[in-house]
Amino acid sequence: MTNEELWQTALGEIELSISKANFITWFKNTSILSLKDGHVVIGVPNGFAKEWLENKYDLYILRALKNIQGDIKSVSCLISSGPTQSFPQTNKEITVDAVQAPKKSPVFYEKKPPISQESNLNQKYTFENFVIGGSNELARAACYAVSKSLGNVYNPLFIYGGVGLGKTHLIQSIGNEALKINPQTRIKYISSERFTSDLIDSIKTQKIQEFKEYYQKIDLLIIDDIQFISGKEKTQEEFFHIFNYLYQLNKQIVLSSDRAPKAIQILEERLRSRFEGGMIADVSKPDLETRLAILKIKALQNGVEITEEALEFIATNIKNNIRELEGALNRVSVSAQLTKKSLDSAYTKQILSDIISSGKKKGINHKHIIKTVSDFYEISPADLVAKNRKQEVVKPRQIAMFLMRSELSYSYPGIGDKLGGRDHTTAMHAYEKISKEIKLDERLDEEITHLRDILYTIN
Amino acid sequence: MKLICTEVNFKKAIFNCERVVSKKNTLPILNNILFETEKGGLKLSATNLEIGVSSKIGAKIEKEGRITIPAKLISNFSANLPSGENISLELVDNNLKIKSGINKAIIKGISAEDFPLLPLRKTEYLLDLSSLELKTAILKVMPAVAFNESRQELTGINLILKEKELIFAATDSFRLSECQIKIEEININKETYKLFIEKNENVIIPANVLGELNRMLAPDIDNRVKITIEEGQIFFEIDGIKLVSRLINGKYPEYKHIMPAEYKTRIVGEKQVLQNAIKMASVFSAGGSNEITLKISQEEEKIFILSSSAEVGENSAELKFDITGPSQEVVFNAKYLLDGINATTTSQVAILLNSEATPVAVREINEKSGEVLDNFTYIVMPIKN
Repeated sequence: MTNEELWQTALGEIELSISKANFITWFKNTSILSLKDGHVVIGVPNGFAKEWLENKYDLYILRALKNIQGDIKSVSCLISSGPTQSFPQTNKEITVDAVQAPKKSPVFYEKKPPISQESNLNQKYTFENFVIGGSNELARAACYAVSKSLGNVYNPLFIYGGVGLGKTHLIQSIGNEALKINPQTRIKYISSERFTSDLIDSIKTQKIQEFKEYYQKIDLLIIDDIQFISGKEKTQEEFFHIFNYLYQLNKQIVLSSDRAPKAIQILEERLRSRFEGGMIADVSKPDLETRLAILKIKALQNGVEITEEALEFIATNIKNNIRELEGALNRVSVSAQLTKKSLDSAYTKQILSDIISSGKKKGINHKHIIKTVSDFYEISPADLVAKNRKQEVVKPRQIAMFLMRSELSYSYPGIGDKLGGRDHTTAMHAYEKISKEIKLDERLDEEITHLRDILYTIN
Repeated sequence: MKLICTEVNFKKAIFNCERVVSKKNTLPILNNILFETEKGGLKLSATNLEIGVSSKIGAKIEKEGRITIPAKLISNFSANLPSGENISLELVDNNLKIKSGINKAIIKGISAEDFPLLPLRKTEYLLDLSSLELKTAILKVMPAVAFNESRQELTGINLILKEKELIFAATDSFRLSECQIKIEEININKETYKLFIEKNENVIIPANVLGELNRMLAPDIDNRVKITIEEGQIFFEIDGIKLVSRLINGKYPEYKHIMPAEYKTRIVGEKQVLQNAIKMASVFSAGGSNEITLKISQEEEKIFILSSSAEVGENSAELKFDITGPSQEVVFNAKYLLDGINATTTSQVAILLNSEATPVAVREINEKSGEVLDNFTYIVMPIKN
């Protein structure tokens, strides 16, 4: 066993016996410098860690080391920057001059993002760097076909799917691909919110005609997040006219939304039917393999050196959203850069622990629910469990049952049992009743959301 | 814990400790100041695990004890205390009761059990020098310290221990400031010092700890500062205050070869006049590099400070300075030059130079003899054209 392995194993044991804050504070950047005749010298980053390790944690450390290697008898600390040197010493040969001439008026070129002004397209979104998986195959194929033959195949093309799954990437790729084929194509990418505000501006400045004419000249109109025009009647009306005009001329229209056209509330019927008239494709949550492929590409693009296991760990634990996936990768790579550690799965786990565990149901049981509900409705837990049917107790009791079912997935007989030995049918009735009422009664819905919040912030 | 102390002492101890407490700690107890009775006095300690400070003040102790108190709270509290009233402290469970004049406060503390132990020096002191002299040296080199943390060694001040002198130096790679203190003016522990400099004559002290030290040293009272250096750490002791910090690991860049051995041109004149002229010129200077031109004309026996920018306009100032040597015309970053001139403590300064592309020095002038002093040198590189 090398010294490093020995220390890592010992740290694993020490970590269990002291609090996390203490562990991070005192054992960060420590290492075993030497091991000789049963005496271990630990390298620590500063004098404070030395004092603390030698005086407060000496027994923990010795015990942990002894458990692994029985012949270790004593431990001492030495202040050293150790192997995790905070800066590379390699520049020793290249003597950096202490003083050098400052440069003449550094001219700052403003780094322009690669967005072409006219079309609003971001050139980083292309089909080449889009990762195809089972969840987005159809949408991607539709987009690709559209880009090859604008206005002829699927018109309008409607892409929908959850947050951060690549809708924007896909629809912008259409634009970029179309530009590649014919640079003269007039393309406009715009979010529906922006579309609305432009429209309002044009009404304000009485240039609505120009606004219409501008859009009527476009060959490919891409509108992102179309669901936001729901409820905006004037925008819908103008959009309807522009839509019709372009459609008649066989100009391509691409729309994206976070839900299917049917599910967009307050959308005029004539618009809805038009959206549904073309091709509708959805982008769903990527499977594990796709997530892993995405991570690999991102790691390659950003030059992050990371082990396969670490990538797998991220991919298995972050499921919902590609943006979160990228965020997690960025987070581990940046923190690894700062601490100069290699990116393996243990390190990744440590860094991502708080992201991953958040929102999960940890260590909550029926007692928490009873307490939370009784506190919230200001009744005693005993009343909640008691055999009576007082008006003010009945509803909280049903809510408690509902929460036990929905949050903890307890069985109905189990729920009845926990709440004063009631019949399982009572629990079933309660669950169904509350589930129904939530949809009708907004206040109840709020109360339950609030209760959930309290429940998960207890720990 | 039960004790009485004066308001002046109390405030001083808190002032010395509070700044060290950092805000971004993983350990909550590091946001606190440790109060403990020690040998007939009250000792306050604080640390952010890079710097540790303890300040001991006189107090009448009735009962021993220790507790930690949130630094921010106690510092706000002490700032609002009326002057002239004695302060009595009493610890009941984990609550510190404070009484002072009309004020009574109870502050909830955290047990001192988990407060980090401040490292103590194990060896005898190495240097013992005047606080005023140390303060001057710190203030002279501080402006040249680099803020950027990409080269960690430049965020510290280089202390070089020589047989005949101590050298403080700092650079951010555009300018360099060096200040020397003669060994004769310092009490050194001769044996230890000799042994020490044989092994290691060059350490890098984090600039922030010297900043703290500077803040604690009163500008008008001369105290003795004792300095000890041990494996990776430096200890300062001044009149009941102990300050400990880690040293920066690494190699400070060699800079001696950059300082020219001799200079062709020298100008000497009033510091105030020069400062004003540079400040005025920098109002008009162009671009991010804040360029100004220093033109020395031997024929006219004048110097000019010029600046111009296409958008703003231009400015020039004509100064009567003593000139020796040939005419020169050099472009500077106004801030870098001004920092050096501001760091001088004499009423007259000298600027020494060779050409428009070689290092330029700022030095002080002895008030009586008019000689150029060589214990402080500020080097600044001209801007290349």
